[in-house]
Amino acid sequence: MLQARLTTAILMLPVLVYTAFSAGPFVWTAIMSLRTTDEIYRSHYGLPIPAHWGKFYTAWTEFGYSTYFRNSAIVAGTAVIIITLVGAMAGYGFARKRFAFPWREPLFLMLFLSVMFPPQIMILSLFQILIKYKLFNTLPGVILVYVSTELPITIYLLRAFFAQIPQELEEAARIDGCTDWSMFWRVMFPMARPAVATTFILNFIYFWNEFLYAVIFITKQEIRTLPLAIQFLVSDSYQDIGMLATGLMIASLPVLLMYLFLSEWFVKGMTAGAIKG
Amino acid sequence: MIRERVRAPRPRRPWGSIAMFLCPALFFYFAFIIYPVLVTFFNSFHILRQDLGLTYQFVGLQHFKEILSSDEVFWKAAGNSLTWGIVAPLIDMPLALTLALVLHAKVPFARFFRTVWFTPLLMSYPVVGVIWLWVYNYDWGMANLLLRTIGLGRYAEAWLANPTTALPALILVTTWMFTGFHMVVLLTAIHTIPQEYIEAAWVDGANRWQRTFHIVIPLLRPTLVNLAILDFIGKMKQFALVWVMTRGGPMRGTETVATYVIKRAFEWKTLDLGYPSAIAVIWFVIIFGLSVGLTRFLQRREALEF
Repeated sequence: MLQARLTTAILMLPVLVYTAFSAGPFVWTAIMSLRTTDEIYRSHYGLPIPAHWGKFYTAWTEFGYSTYFRNSAIVAGTAVIIITLVGAMAGYGFARKRFAFPWREPLFLMLFLSVMFPPQIMILSLFQILIKYKLFNTLPGVILVYVSTELPITIYLLRAFFAQIPQELEEAARIDGCTDWSMFWRVMFPMARPAVATTFILNFIYFWNEFLYAVIFITKQEIRTLPLAIQFLVSDSYQDIGMLATGLMIASLPVLLMYLFLSEWFVKGMTAGAIKG
Repeated sequence: MIRERVRAPRPRRPWGSIAMFLCPALFFYFAFIIYPVLVTFFNSFHILRQDLGLTYQFVGLQHFKEILSSDEVFWKAAGNSLTWGIVAPLIDMPLALTLALVLHAKVPFARFFRTVWFTPLLMSYPVVGVIWLWVYNYDWGMANLLLRTIGLGRYAEAWLANPTTALPALILVTTWMFTGFHMVVLLTAIHTIPQEYIEAAWVDGANRWQRTFHIVIPLLRPTLVNLAILDFIGKMKQFALVWVMTRGGPMRGTETVATYVIKRAFEWKTLDLGYPSAIAVIWFVIIFGLSVGLTRFLQRREALEF
């Protein structure tokens, strides 16, 4: 009994140290987001008493966060819907025996290998292409690039799910007169909801937080997404750390709040790409 | 007529449905991934001036010769990226494995800790970058506060302003972001180990340490290798954190290949897209080669899986 308690105590030591390391910087920022810059400069580690909740309103209305938030929502929302539909269709097409054709497997292997491509191999020519088709500095341009870069991993994950659905089910539906199209939307897509939800979350977080493509393809202030806006605010008003902290919270809260309620799904979605088997 | 009768009946493929399901995805894939990759390869043999309306001037292998023989910034950046790629997994994997094993050993509130540790991954690089700019602030940052509190104030440092400490400081930030993620993957892998293996070892008289080191860790090897390779590839591509926190400075101490490509394309007075494309091609070949090579070497039969 005593030994068991001692073991637990010893095990708790690294756990608590790591938790302090892991949570400390974020908790500190969250506290600063409720304090004014003057208060912060007087004492950087003070508590938010009184808490200035109004700062969120100020950031939203006076510092442009409503615009940046809207841009992020448009980009992430549209891209995630397109990628889910397109990715599920392709995952289904690559998974089922019925749709086999001679060079399907090499094609899929090629698709899969592109997961490893570093973005730099595409980004400069994408810049060139987007300019050529007048998509540079537009939200649709960014959405197209986002969808394309995440498609391979999405198709890979959904294909694995569709491949598991038994053949008999498909045959039964076909006897009932289902066409391939209605079979997919009425039978297969609804069945794939768990896998679809997983990729939906994975992609939404990726799109919401994406920075590299955004920083190259967006130069106009009015279409900046949140990650981009924060990078610019660091250089413009770095002294106003109180307001910047509020901005950081605005940029992170949507994902963090969802995580609070759906943490199991989040963990599943984010790790889906890395778990073997 | 005769030929048609002799030929074996070909399986009828539902080409219409195949096209319907695959074409949208293949359009995105070929238009925005494969085509740009080919264009980058093509561009790498040219000078492509942005101020002259992107007109092409063929220069053959000139860019490649210059990069490999005399571009010191490239070699510095490649060294930094490679350091990041190698050092990060060496820190992340043991740390994540330790935490996973500890959580698995029935620590109270395990779910709570797991949730907290995973959180940093959900924030964008700019958000993380700003938070850590504050942590590393010389006067009031958490890092120096900690040192001063435990009486090591003389080691306090302007972490991001010193060329020798800036890169390690950034590597620590990625560890902060990714360890929770690696831990969760390892924890999932531990849970899939058949209980019989551990019980059998227990019956044979193996104590907790022996069970961990001789049963659990060897069985986790494929997952560890897989995570380490993913971590390596991810760090070799690192861009955003550097862009937000140090812009490659001080004295190129944190320059990565990714940041150099972007600077060379958009901030250099040459305004040439060809030269950075050549850097991108070289780096692409290296990352691709190393990923495949490492997978073969470390994992032998098992293929790289995501």
